[in-house]
Amino acid sequence: MHEYSISSQIWASVSRAAREQGGGRVLSIVLEVGVLNLLEEEQLSFWIGMLAEREGSPNLELKVTTLPGRVRCRQCGEEGEAGMPEGEVDHLVPFIPSCKVCGSHDVIVSGGREIRVVSAEVEKAEAGEGGA
Amino acid sequence: MRLYETTEKGSVEIEIDEDIQAKQEELAERNRELFEERGIRAFDFTGSVGAGKTSLIAGLVERLSAEHRVGVIAGDVATTHDAERVTGKGARRVLQINTGGMCHLDARLVYQAHQKMSEEQIDVLFIENVGNLICPSFFALGAEARVAVVSASDGSHVIEKHPAMFQSADLVVLNKIDIAEAVHMDLSQPIADLEALRPGLRVVKTNCLAGEGVDDVMRELKLG
Repeated sequence: MHEYSISSQIWASVSRAAREQGGGRVLSIVLEVGVLNLLEEEQLSFWIGMLAEREGSPNLELKVTTLPGRVRCRQCGEEGEAGMPEGEVDHLVPFIPSCKVCGSHDVIVSGGREIRVVSAEVEKAEAGEGGA
Repeated sequence: MRLYETTEKGSVEIEIDEDIQAKQEELAERNRELFEERGIRAFDFTGSVGAGKTSLIAGLVERLSAEHRVGVIAGDVATTHDAERVTGKGARRVLQINTGGMCHLDARLVYQAHQKMSEEQIDVLFIENVGNLICPSFFALGAEARVAVVSASDGSHVIEKHPAMFQSADLVVLNKIDIAEAVHMDLSQPIADLEALRPGLRVVKTNCLAGEGVDDVMRELKLG
C-alpha cells in the first residue's frame, strides 16, 4: 500500500538526475530494494511506470535487485542475516524476521530496509553531453 | 551523481546512488534534533481505524494540559473530525494533516506540520498517525516513542498479523477491554503473541472512553 509514496520518491530522485543531464527520456531504472520493506515489485513497477509516463518517459524498464534482511538480536546480541519464513515473502504473508542463532523474534532490523536508486539510463539530450 | 557510460543506443547511464529509506531516516533524525532543541517530547500513536488513538490522545491531553503545553498533530486521509475531538481538551495547538490518500505520515509531513505550529511553544507533542497497522511501521517520524494502540475489536490475532508494527513499537495499549467479551476477544492471546515477538515490551490495558488505564499510559511514557 505504501508503494505509491515510495514510487513517487524514487521517480523524483530519477527525474531530478535526468534533468541535470539535460532532461532526456528515462529508459530504465536500477533499484536495490531490501526484502524487509515488503514492497510488492509489480505494484512498484506499475506506479513508477505511471509516474514516468506522465512525465514523458513511457515504457520504462525497472531492474530490481532484492537485498537480504539483517538483524541484531535483542536477546543474544548476534548480528547477521535475518531468519526468514520459508517460501516467498510478500505483502500477503505476514512474517517476522528472526535471529538465526537463537531463533528469537526480538530483533532490531539493521539491514534489508534499503530502497536504493542505483542508476538510470537516460536518452541523450540532442545538444550532446550534459555536465558530469 | 556521476555520468559514467555512454551506451550504443545514444543513451547515458547516470549513477544516482540515493537511498530513499536512508533519506527518510535523515528526515526523522532532523525532527528528533529539532524536538530536542526546542524541549519537545514527541510521541507517535499508531493503530488501526477505530482502535481508539484519538480517545487516548484526548484523555492524555485532558490530564496533561494543566501542567504542560501540549500540541497535537492529527493525521488522516481526509476530514478534521479527529482534530475537533481533541480541541477543547486543553491543547495549545491542534493541527490536522490530511494526507490525501497517503496511508501513513512521514517525517517530512510532521516537520511541515510542526513548522505551522512553531510560533507556539509546546513541550509535549502527540502525533496521531493514519489509521493503519501496516504502512506507518516503515516510516520513522523522529518521535521519542511509538505507542501502538490495538482494540478488542481488532481481533485476537492482531499482533500476529501485523508483526512489523509491533516490532517498531515502544508501548502497546490494549484498548476497549470493556467490550472484549462481547466481540469474543481473548485478551490473553495478543499478550502472549507480544511476549513471543517482543519479550518484556510494556502493555497497558485501557478503556479510553471511560478514562480507565489512561493514567497508566501517562506513567509508562513518563509524562505527568
